[in-house]
Amino acid sequence: MSIIVENLCFSYKKGTPFEKKVLHDISLTVEDGEFLALIGPTQSGKTTLAQHFNALLIPHCGRVMVNEADTQDPNTDLVALRLQVGYVFQNPDYQLFAPTVGEDIAFGPLNQKLPRTVINDRVSEAMKIVNLVPEIFLNRDIYALSGGQKRRVAIAGVLACQPQIMILDDITAGLDPRGRDEILAVIRRLHREQNITIILISNSMDEAAEMADRIIVMNQGQITLEGKARAIFSHLDLLRSIGLELPESMNLVQQLQERGLAISSVPLNLDETIDLIAGSFRKGQGTT
Amino acid sequence: MELTKNITLGVYLPGQSLIHRLDPRTKIISVTAIVILLLLIKSYYAYAAMLILLAFVIFIAVIPVGYAFRGLKPMLPVLVLMWVFQLFLYSGPSPKLLFTWWFFSATEAGFHMGNLITLRVFFLFTFTTLLTLTTSIVSLTDGLESLLNPLKRIGVPSQELVMTMIIALRFVLILAEELDKIVKAQMARGVAFDRGSFIHKTKKMFPVFLPLFISAFKRAEELIVAMEARSYTGGKNRTKMKTLHLGRVDLVAGLVMIVFSTLVMVLIISVKPQI
Amino acid sequence: MARLIEVNNLSYTYRSGSANKVQALNRITMEVHRGEILAITGQNGSGKSTLARHFNSLLIPTSGEVLVDGLSAADKKNIAAIRKMIGMVFQNPDNQLISSLVEEDIAFGPENLGLPAPEIKKRVDWALESLNITALRQASPNNLSEGQKQLVAIAGVLAMKPECIVLDEPTTHLDPRGRREVLDNILRLNREDGITIVLVTHFMQEVAHCDRMIIMEQGKIKMSGTPRELFRYPEKIRSFGLDSPVASKIADGLRKMGFNLPDDILLSEELADSLCQLL
Repeated sequence: MSIIVENLCFSYKKGTPFEKKVLHDISLTVEDGEFLALIGPTQSGKTTLAQHFNALLIPHCGRVMVNEADTQDPNTDLVALRLQVGYVFQNPDYQLFAPTVGEDIAFGPLNQKLPRTVINDRVSEAMKIVNLVPEIFLNRDIYALSGGQKRRVAIAGVLACQPQIMILDDITAGLDPRGRDEILAVIRRLHREQNITIILISNSMDEAAEMADRIIVMNQGQITLEGKARAIFSHLDLLRSIGLELPESMNLVQQLQERGLAISSVPLNLDETIDLIAGSFRKGQGTT
Repeated sequence: MELTKNITLGVYLPGQSLIHRLDPRTKIISVTAIVILLLLIKSYYAYAAMLILLAFVIFIAVIPVGYAFRGLKPMLPVLVLMWVFQLFLYSGPSPKLLFTWWFFSATEAGFHMGNLITLRVFFLFTFTTLLTLTTSIVSLTDGLESLLNPLKRIGVPSQELVMTMIIALRFVLILAEELDKIVKAQMARGVAFDRGSFIHKTKKMFPVFLPLFISAFKRAEELIVAMEARSYTGGKNRTKMKTLHLGRVDLVAGLVMIVFSTLVMVLIISVKPQI
Repeated sequence: MARLIEVNNLSYTYRSGSANKVQALNRITMEVHRGEILAITGQNGSGKSTLARHFNSLLIPTSGEVLVDGLSAADKKNIAAIRKMIGMVFQNPDNQLISSLVEEDIAFGPENLGLPAPEIKKRVDWALESLNITALRQASPNNLSEGQKQLVAIAGVLAMKPECIVLDEPTTHLDPRGRREVLDNILRLNREDGITIVLVTHFMQEVAHCDRMIIMEQGKIKMSGTPRELFRYPEKIRSFGLDSPVASKIADGLRKMGFNLPDDILLSEELADSLCQLL
């Protein structure tokens, strides 16, 4: 199941004195099974773009095809589409409303009018995938959960609809380091074990580098860069100029380069940084 | 799908028009006068005069006409309902029958009452919207506070009341944006807000209103704490950075309003009420 | 007095009268020195915010004492004086701004102090300038980025001329750029204007810039000292659910490969310098 975007444009508050064009002529493809990261500074249009993927927003020009169905076609069943392209919002409090964890996760399948036994299966399936033990959490009050746990319930709630694509909008925001690692582990599982196409929206280059196959960088409603992590990260000056903060490890690499150390390639994570520095050092000292 | 697009009450459209430049107290008093008049009007002639004033203000304030009325869109169903109620349930002095439907009878008096009530709400809403469109929340509350100040002496907590308004107005937009996000979050889980019967649709709003309510309360709680941390202890012993000054524009506006109000009062008293 | 805030055997229990009471703080003893930047860190739920909110009497101790400049923070009579000295910035930028106009919001604090109008205006000008946001003076917070809103919130507190500003996870909801802007400004306020800073955070890059840090877990202080001292023990830090600054981790990794680097490296500049010295 893939998504094709052709010449998409969109404006908020269209037709009012406050009209603002937020997406300009965007074209891209989301391939089946890939892990795509959508990064960019705030207000770059990432969320607006992503909300076109499950028809929460409809294009003002151009078109969006999800699994070969045009979101503007009146014959397309948008409600069904939204169950296949899941969207998890940044703030789990916007989504959670039922008294218990189990009931909230069941909400999606309930809307699909599935038989009770299927719903129960889906709920416990989803809970296991996000590491919430059903025996413990099924009847837990949602207000008694920690931030990280709430986020996992929110993911489970979307997961229970069995989507083929999942859009995760800035879902590590506000989590402490451990909470963040837990969520990222869950996301990795979704991609590798459940074979769900993942679109990760983030403003952290670190996260994108760590998790994604392919990265799209947006700025002011347009696609600035697109490609594999290593290729993107070689454009450090461009990324900095559009307002993205470089990962600290890349900051270090730049400082070393300024001081004369020859580091030619781009590290994507901590281990690579260490190896890269060690390697360049030994070369610099004549030892390999 | 953008829920906040049609919210105009509380939105400020900056500008340099004469209306924008009036002292907020002038505008508040004028709108209050208009509201009182609206409550007394019982004939179409007086409403015609109101319409002329409305057009005049929209023109001078340089507000796009379409935008001024956009805020009415969400209210339309309520207005229609109100009109229908009056049509069938009010019989008043002239119970001349227009038609019957099931066991309801529509009367001529009901028809006129329906019109008058709907017009009243229409004007109330549009004039208030024009007020907030042309006056920043800060100006509005400064003006209100200044006007209510004398009441402090008789124990009315004017500063606190105004503070409540300031905060409410600031958060209307914030909560509307949240509502938008919450609706989308539930749409993403397969809720079809645009399908189903009316009762069905209302039931669907629960997963939306509960999170919104909770969010509003949380925000209120946090805001109170933040205000206390900045030494807010209520209205007494507080000073203000800005002071208001009346200018020539206000004099002119004042005169215009006095003339207008007199005219409308004359119409109210002399013209035979429609109902 | 070098100790601006003194905390002795402080315990705090939420909902102490009811069945679901929670002991959030368990006999905490610590202090905040005048002029320092102190980091209070720990996982979510460790009690960091609860501790911080005792510093300006938003919370009153269940037992133990909190002294601010010698005044008891539990005594209602002292609240006004304490809140003048200790300003607080909160996590959610929107839920601390009350006005739709930046300069009006910044004036809110001084107005509450009953200062004369010209003085208030001067302070608003000064606060805007201190944070480099004079251009935002006439803006509406509804149109600002989250980072800018936080700067307005800080300006609003600064305008009250506090001795100390406590920031309760101010960058949690910000993007990386916003985080950097807020951190840069906090550091500058401390280094140039001498304002004592208490920073509650879980971002280790921020902690690395602080003079002292304490790590909390389940209502108790587990470690305290300078970042240089504490980050020498990364496994211990990790056991508290926290991370180390990136430069520290890289230095660690390089040391394991045989590089002779000092063991208290925290910042990238330090690591870069040390590496170049080895060349």
